[in-house]
Amino acid sequence: MKIVVAGKGGAGKTTVSGTLARSLAQKGGDVLALDCDANPMLGVSLGLGMERTDLLVGVRQAVDAGEAEHQPTVEGMIESFGADAPDGVRLVVASRIDRIDPGCP
Amino acid sequence: MHLAVVGKGGAGKSVIAGTLARVLARRGRRVLALDSDMLPGLTFSLGADAPPAPPLLDAAERGEDGRWRLKRGVGPVRAVQRYATDAPDGVRLLQAGKVGPDGLAGIQPALQAYFRVIHRLAHSRAFAEWAIVGDLPGGPRQAAFGWAPYAETFLLVVEPTAQSLLAARRIAGVASQRRGSPVGVVANKVRDDADITRIEQFLGARVAAAVPADAAVVSAERTGAALLDHAPRSPAAAAVAELADRVEAGSLAS
Repeated sequence: MKIVVAGKGGAGKTTVSGTLARSLAQKGGDVLALDCDANPMLGVSLGLGMERTDLLVGVRQAVDAGEAEHQPTVEGMIESFGADAPDGVRLVVASRIDRIDPGCP
Repeated sequence: MHLAVVGKGGAGKSVIAGTLARVLARRGRRVLALDSDMLPGLTFSLGADAPPAPPLLDAAERGEDGRWRLKRGVGPVRAVQRYATDAPDGVRLLQAGKVGPDGLAGIQPALQAYFRVIHRLAHSRAFAEWAIVGDLPGGPRQAAFGWAPYAETFLLVVEPTAQSLLAARRIAGVASQRRGSPVGVVANKVRDDADITRIEQFLGARVAAAVPADAAVVSAERTGAALLDHAPRSPAAAAVAELADRVEAGSLAS
């Protein structure tokens, strides 16, 4: 089961996604929550809190920094760069924009 | 007076940008509203009619090297004359383009033209006396990738929620990297003084203007009407007029 949540800013994508992920996990599913927003905030709605959410590393930034040498597989990246959220949800941040940079994220 | 409005999606950027643009125009300024959001927020909040297709579709072409360029004779002045549309109170509205059934690919020439026009406009003396109010999409992406080259000041719209605060801190970090452009914090959907204190403590910056939580804004957005048409005497409209005072006095950014 792979679900993408989309909509206008402020419509409630993150709240729906986080709550849905935890509900599925509570029913016994293995859940990977993937935050693909350039301004990743899914950790907040999953219940990680603001400061922990803000410390999560984007996989894109980790790969750019050369970390892919150590974690060449998708599973390895989820293991290395993901975070454990409540109810056993595994959270991975795809990318986050903190700097003025050339290129496209 | 060249501003770009940034903040998390749903924080109220478009309502504040659209209302501010019209307030400044009513005070006799020439106002250019710049809309680089691919979704139609600013059109509604200005009370403008959406053009059926992006007017700028016609403004760019590919050169022999395959690169996009503005068509011959299309500079910033011509672009605003020809491709901007009229919004109420005399505001001129230049839109990058809205996503249609063909997605981004269908509006690529318009986006390419818009990006080039705003970069030339940023250095154009013709607009030195204009008020420019730019509405950016939610999040840090456009602020980081050069979609507000005209911005002398960023207006950072933040509501007192965890997500909006966190987004605002990140966006402020990105915006301030651009040749140190000052950032003025606009608190939106404020219920009490504690909300303002919370925002100031989290961002470590003074709130330059506060717009109250106002049911008139909610009902204006539900009907797709401009706040100034729907509820001109509402507390939120009055607060944006005060914001305009501070913009004109140059006392916005900390």
